[in-house]
Amino acid sequence: MGTVAPRIRFVLFAAASVVIASVPFLTDDRYLLKILTFVGLNAIVVAGLALLLGFAGQISMGHAAFFGLGAYTSAYLTTAHEVPWLLAVAAGTLLAATGGLLLALPSLRLKGHYLAMATLGFNEIMSVLFVEMRGITGGNDGLSGIPFPSIGSFVIDSPAAIYILVWAVAALAFVGAANLVRTRPGRAMRALHGSELGALASGVNTVGLKVQVFAVSAALAGLAGALYAHSVGFISPSQFSLEFSILLVAMVVVGGTGSLTGPFIAAVALTLLQYVHALIPGLSKDAAALIQDWEVDISGLIMILTVIFVPGGLAAFLKRRRSGAGEEGEIA
Amino acid sequence: MSLLAIRDLTRRFGGLVAVDGVSFDVHEGTIKAVIGPNGAGKSTLFNLMTGFDRPDAGAVSFDGRDIVGMRPHKVVAAGISRTFQNTQLFEELTALENVLVGMHTRLRTGLVGGALRMPWTVAEERRALERASYLLRLVGAEQYAQTHAADIPHGMRRLLEIARALAAEPRLLLLDEPAAGLNNFETQSLSKTLYKIRDEGVTLVVVEHDMGLVMEVSEEIVVIDQGRKIAEGPPLLIQKDAAVIEAYLGEEGAYV
Ligand SMILES: Nc1ncnc2c1ncn2[C@@H]1O[C@H](COP(=O)(O)OP(=O)(O)OP(=O)(O)O)[C@@H](O)[C@H]1O
Ligand SMILES: [Mg+2]
Repeated sequence: MGTVAPRIRFVLFAAASVVIASVPFLTDDRYLLKILTFVGLNAIVVAGLALLLGFAGQISMGHAAFFGLGAYTSAYLTTAHEVPWLLAVAAGTLLAATGGLLLALPSLRLKGHYLAMATLGFNEIMSVLFVEMRGITGGNDGLSGIPFPSIGSFVIDSPAAIYILVWAVAALAFVGAANLVRTRPGRAMRALHGSELGALASGVNTVGLKVQVFAVSAALAGLAGALYAHSVGFISPSQFSLEFSILLVAMVVVGGTGSLTGPFIAAVALTLLQYVHALIPGLSKDAAALIQDWEVDISGLIMILTVIFVPGGLAAFLKRRRSGAGEEGEIA
Repeated sequence: MSLLAIRDLTRRFGGLVAVDGVSFDVHEGTIKAVIGPNGAGKSTLFNLMTGFDRPDAGAVSFDGRDIVGMRPHKVVAAGISRTFQNTQLFEELTALENVLVGMHTRLRTGLVGGALRMPWTVAEERRALERASYLLRLVGAEQYAQTHAADIPHGMRRLLEIARALAAEPRLLLLDEPAAGLNNFETQSLSKTLYKIRDEGVTLVVVEHDMGLVMEVSEEIVVIDQGRKIAEGPPLLIQKDAAVIEAYLGEEGAYV
């Protein structure tokens, strides 16, 4: 907690904000804006998952399901019942948070691999429900004609406006998370990760805390999901599969535990990896297709290599660089 | 009335009676030592007094209030803090942050206040930092404030855990073998720290094998052997107690 590091952090944050905010002024390529919107959406989920996994040390392989829960709830309410957009998104977020509360229950008894299996099971159950609850979800055909975000008569319908909306939410999510980890509740999360006995002996209600973190983390995933539904206009079950959950976990693991910056960078990189074909103009069709086919495997491979060679992830790498410059004890 | 009253406390593990009908009192403002051979049931006793374990029978009352069955974090809030025989520090956190976590029950900031970084959150954080720094100085660990617990030398780690326990502003502090692994010099400064803590108005119960330290700091000693209390009294009397000498000689030679 030196005096220099927060300033560096602030400068980095400001620089990133400027870059992100200037994108809509530099391009009007709809596809590119869409891709970058997806990056922002994944970043929102990763802010929550980093709190849960990277800070509180609780694994969830079910975050795609929360994303889906938010997406379906908001999509259904706006299409079938013409609920105002803001209310529908709030409902999606809240329902995902409730799902998070439920998923917290196994975490009270299970740890590590067992918790991973339980949350993975949750994702699979939700995947089945997304298909089977046809009346609400539209089954395998999904839901289409989901309206653009709107408040009253003000409609956010251009790719640039949606991009700005999503990234504003992402910025809020990261600022909130960054504040959180430096105050009482965030320290309690990190304590829980370090030693559950020590946390209890420090007066931390570990049960309550796990439930809270799961709920907050799920809420952020649900919020991102709801925003996603309204920015693409069409959703179907395959978008919320276990594969997506694994990709999200990979982002946090590659980014590093106890860090927000690391997972953010990893979220950007691993999301963009899915769209290299569109981003690198000179890339041959074959190469692009190859990367797209193997994208999940590449993410998985990066995760495995990270765990083996840089267990602390990107954050440890950044921290090592910075402590070389005479600082330590920082949350990257 | 005593601050802590333990009555007929019993804890069985299968056929083993780890704590067997133990009763004693701890009076406010004193330092009490609990001694006994390895496996006597001392740590189990601590677990029963802090909500980490439940007795099969008996009562623990703190300040007139029954605390059996309370969850550990509630016990902390009620005013009893502890350290562990195997230190349970947060290795990835700095010493300062470890102590700040110890203040959990004394701070108010919740998820919303923390995320929004409200003005009162900032003010509370500033106060917390001041107090945490003070506690690090109290135990003499201030030079490690910004060091991760994992990188702090062994002796200091024990002191850091004490500072963290103190951060909850306990009325009763339970230390499980605070001198284990300390050298002579560190043990000396530990005894000074224990006096300082008592002088701040905190009552102490110390489980310890280092007889030098026990004889020096404690006003009263409880001796436990195979789960049973076999003696209780001031250090000079305990040193001469036949049952105590027997218990120790029977185990691994003269401690006393
Ligand atoms: N959770 C448990 N399950 C089964 N047996 C246990 C458990 N905890 C403690 N015991 C047993 O109870 C007895 C008392 O253990 P305890 O740790 O309380 O002893 P101690 O007096 O603290 O010993 P030491 O001086 O070695 O720390 C020992 O025989 C121990 O093996
Ligand atoms: Mg013990």
